[in-house]
Amino acid sequence: MVVLEAKGIKKHFGGVVALADANLICRKGKITGLLGANGSGKSTMSKIISGVYSADGGDIRFKGEQVKYRNPNEAQKNGIAMVFQNLSLVPDLTVWQNIVLGAEEKKRLFLNNEASRIISRNIIDKLLPGLDINRMIYELNPGEMQIVEIAKAVSAKPELLILDEPTAALEQAEVKSLFTYMRSLVEQGVSIIFTSHRLWEVMEICDDIVVFRNGTNAGHIDFETEEKDPEKLIRYITGGIKEIKIEKDRNTLSGNPVLQVHHLSYGGILKDISFELRKGEILGIGGLAGQGQHELMLLLAGNYPKAVCCAELNGKPINLTKPVNAIRNNILLVPGDRQLEGLFLNHPVFTNLIFPKMGLKKQPFITPRKMYKEECERTIARLSIKTDGLDIPVRTLSGGNQQKIVVGKWLPFDVNVLLLADPAKGVDIGAKQDLYAYIIEQVKKERMSVILYASDNQELIEYCDRVLIMYEGRIVSTIEENDINEDRIISASMGIGRTEGERHE
Amino acid sequence: MNKTTEKKQTSSFMNNMVKRPEFSILVILVVMITLTALLQKNFFSIKSIVRNINAFTPLILLTMGQAVVIIAGGIDLSAGPALSLLTCVLTFIMKEGSPVTGVYALVITFAAAVLLGIINGIGIGYLRIPPVIATFATSFMWLGTALFIRPTPGGETVNWFNAFYSFRSLENVPQVIRTIGDIIPPALVLVLLGCFFWYILSRTRTGRYIYAVGSSLESAYESGIDTALVQTSAYIINSVFIFLTALFFVGQNQSGDARLGDPLTLRAIAAAVVGGIALSGGKGSVFFAIVGALILSFVNKIIFFADIPYAFQTLVGGVIVIGAIASSRFYTIYNQKVRKKESSLI
Repeated sequence: MVVLEAKGIKKHFGGVVALADANLICRKGKITGLLGANGSGKSTMSKIISGVYSADGGDIRFKGEQVKYRNPNEAQKNGIAMVFQNLSLVPDLTVWQNIVLGAEEKKRLFLNNEASRIISRNIIDKLLPGLDINRMIYELNPGEMQIVEIAKAVSAKPELLILDEPTAALEQAEVKSLFTYMRSLVEQGVSIIFTSHRLWEVMEICDDIVVFRNGTNAGHIDFETEEKDPEKLIRYITGGIKEIKIEKDRNTLSGNPVLQVHHLSYGGILKDISFELRKGEILGIGGLAGQGQHELMLLLAGNYPKAVCCAELNGKPINLTKPVNAIRNNILLVPGDRQLEGLFLNHPVFTNLIFPKMGLKKQPFITPRKMYKEECERTIARLSIKTDGLDIPVRTLSGGNQQKIVVGKWLPFDVNVLLLADPAKGVDIGAKQDLYAYIIEQVKKERMSVILYASDNQELIEYCDRVLIMYEGRIVSTIEENDINEDRIISASMGIGRTEGERHE
Repeated sequence: MNKTTEKKQTSSFMNNMVKRPEFSILVILVVMITLTALLQKNFFSIKSIVRNINAFTPLILLTMGQAVVIIAGGIDLSAGPALSLLTCVLTFIMKEGSPVTGVYALVITFAAAVLLGIINGIGIGYLRIPPVIATFATSFMWLGTALFIRPTPGGETVNWFNAFYSFRSLENVPQVIRTIGDIIPPALVLVLLGCFFWYILSRTRTGRYIYAVGSSLESAYESGIDTALVQTSAYIINSVFIFLTALFFVGQNQSGDARLGDPLTLRAIAAAVVGGIALSGGKGSVFFAIVGALILSFVNKIIFFADIPYAFQTLVGGVIVIGAIASSRFYTIYNQKVRKKESSLI
């Protein structure tokens, strides 16, 4: 029996199309897997069904009736509950208080805490028996919080439960008990939509799988009639192989290592990372979103004083505990969130371009404006930044030109290592080509070394000499230049090709 | 076997008590009381205890109200002027010699107090004005209105209004009640009334939601809580405490004063912080805020009795308050570190 049917759903954010024409069907008492690469539209779909977003087109039928929710509350009252990736727990209340929050048991005017505790304990006992429901949320680890979040959604007794990557923060044992619980819910007639980036999980728990690519349906596998074939799923996700290769200058790679990193770890986010970067190399960092790539970039630029890090630059050990140390060693970062981390939005182009120099030693006491102005003009010309003079605030520029300024501010430096954290995010194609053309020119001419993290695999394939794939804070595989293609990157990103033993770590 | 487990339980209870951040605040209070008792003769006599209660009551009540607002993620910079305004309204309505005007005054002033809370709540909850700015603005509205009603301190009250301060000057009251009033001052009753009011509230949804909203506005909203309504309720609850304070002051002074509350606003906020209420919201207990108010009040007494030159009194008071806040903060951080170590050992 079909519980939910979403047909021809369309959604765009500004000019970006998130869903072009997407369909999804859920059957009663079944677990439907929703798969797709980053930005394929699966999160958008979940949020439209649960009332967070409203669709631009198409219609949704729930229990046979056409529905259109204005907010998540309406959906919840109707029997659709979603567990969000960004958690909606209140940190200063206890576990049980959070589970019943907004729907407390009452005895006349007063709260019936005993009844609320019993409800919470019943759910938690099945999900994570060891968890004390009287603990405060801020004391829990991310995995426990995720479990509480799920318990909160289940306490509303939904008929359709949407789990958006619930396992990302969970340990192996917790995943197992979550799966057991999901199966018991399904037996009671609850339908579940389950998204995850880990293929093996999806194949283990789901009854059928819908794959999205670029906002449309790319494929569908029903495990009751078809066999579980990971190769087929990956083909659906990537859409076959597209070979676009630019000519890379191979003989540059014989150079000496510029940067060597040994056994670097930080909190629980980065674990035992070692690699070396050769002179004139573009080293790619790939993998699913949020596996520690951003943190690795920030760490190499000296932003985490407490990290355990042993790094050598040109054979000499360097200390990466302060951003200024990295800058003085010419390890320069183009951060991922340029508006927050890379620019002074309200300050003029001029200030933004010369600011990094202020951190250097041997600065003249009075800023030589005239000299700097000329330097800025040269930078603007070289990167073809479209700006109405040096004195207009950076926020008035387009995203692409803003990014060029973030790169351009390092131009006067004698770059050793350039760290690029997703430089093409939110940048139009013209500006993106300008940027990469400039970077590749620098690599070839000045023998600059680059570490490039890109969320778009195509950029890694086009520009990188080697790609490191990160998964849960580790480097899980290194793809050498001749093997770099979409298939290899995706299967390495999703943890496929690793043995059973590794998974259970 | 049984005995050992019992022993374990009591020791773990003691351990838990000691590890709570409130513990350090209690220790500071005990130190303050001891110091005051050493400096002041007859500290434990009934007369001086009653005098102390009367002196501490306004700050205690205002601190409790302020604590509710801060827990809900806000702050009330208009509490002092609101207090002044309410005393002015009370004395404006009452006519000496006509006891029934006292009842009118009570009802109308209570309505006015709730209205002040609603205005603050609308600005913060519904119009999304940051609490500091919203209440800073309304503080001038309250002050302006109070000055309009009563440009200079004064006004008249009905005789029975004295009962909010003391039963001594009441007419037609048997001696027994006067004696009881000497031992259990009305001020204490007002504080207990405030405590009871909050105790009831804390067992309702509103009480729970005040913590939820202060801890994370977005999460509370996503859980289906009407956050604007909860914020408004917090300001109305605060108004009730301000109203009780106004009753006490009018009972004591027999007059209204448009500048009476000005110095009390920031003292109440400081007292709440000393009492473990986090300015970031969602953390702390309204009852422990009382301890904060007591500490701040004892600091004043100690400075007074310690013969510190007048010029230094403010400075010393400030240093002691900072010390109290810092020590409880360090204590909390230390405990967190210990807990982390323990959990990593497991």
